[in-house]
Amino acid sequence: MFHQSQNRRGGDDRREKRDSNAIRKKRTCRFCDSKEIYIDYKDEKKLYRFVTEQGKIIPKRITGSCAKHQRQLVKAIKRARHLALLPFVSDAIK
Amino acid sequence: MRWDHHHTSIGGTSLEKEHKIYETTFIVNAALDDAQIDAVIEKVKDVIVKNGGDVRSLEKWGRKRLAYTVDKKNNGFYAFFEFKGPGDLIAKLDRHYQLDEQIIRYLTIQLDKKALKAKEIAAAALLKTQAAAAPGVGDVVV
Repeated sequence: MFHQSQNRRGGDDRREKRDSNAIRKKRTCRFCDSKEIYIDYKDEKKLYRFVTEQGKIIPKRITGSCAKHQRQLVKAIKRARHLALLPFVSDAIK
Repeated sequence: MRWDHHHTSIGGTSLEKEHKIYETTFIVNAALDDAQIDAVIEKVKDVIVKNGGDVRSLEKWGRKRLAYTVDKKNNGFYAFFEFKGPGDLIAKLDRHYQLDEQIIRYLTIQLDKKALKAKEIAAAALLKTQAAAAPGVGDVVV
């Protein structure tokens, strides 16, 4: 779902999105849905879903994660980056 | 780095605290032979055991491609320990990692309540699947 919104930039787009949000189904946190209590930094395949192609962390307004899980996720991603499991900047950009 | 430094603040005032559970992951130079890599891993284990730690598990993830170049290397051998030990062991372990030139990266973290609970749940799920796979064995246990 976030693939479409990923390319959006600028305030106007965002405002449009907010308007259409009223109609769109509410996103739910997928960690809450799957009842995960701990996000593991060792599971880089899962973490890859929450970074962009450039290697940036995708904001929670796009993925729909709740604040609690987003904090855990960010920590896991940063740990994985330190261990060279995830890139800081992807090769394609360099 | 900020996210692996929280263990320095523990220790507290009470003298005999329950030892905490940690996990440590490190990357060994993949250019070495398997025997040499095993020796490096064994040395780390020695440091943990000699300083009052109790190794709970060892995982060798094997040679993996690094997401970015570290010390001009693109590949590394990942190894992982889970252990229980006193707080001052962590500083000694860090020191060992820094001195060993074949270890190119490391991360030691303290497992919090959530992580431990998640591990318990995962272990229970694993037991269940094993019991399902081998019903005869499972029946005896239950």
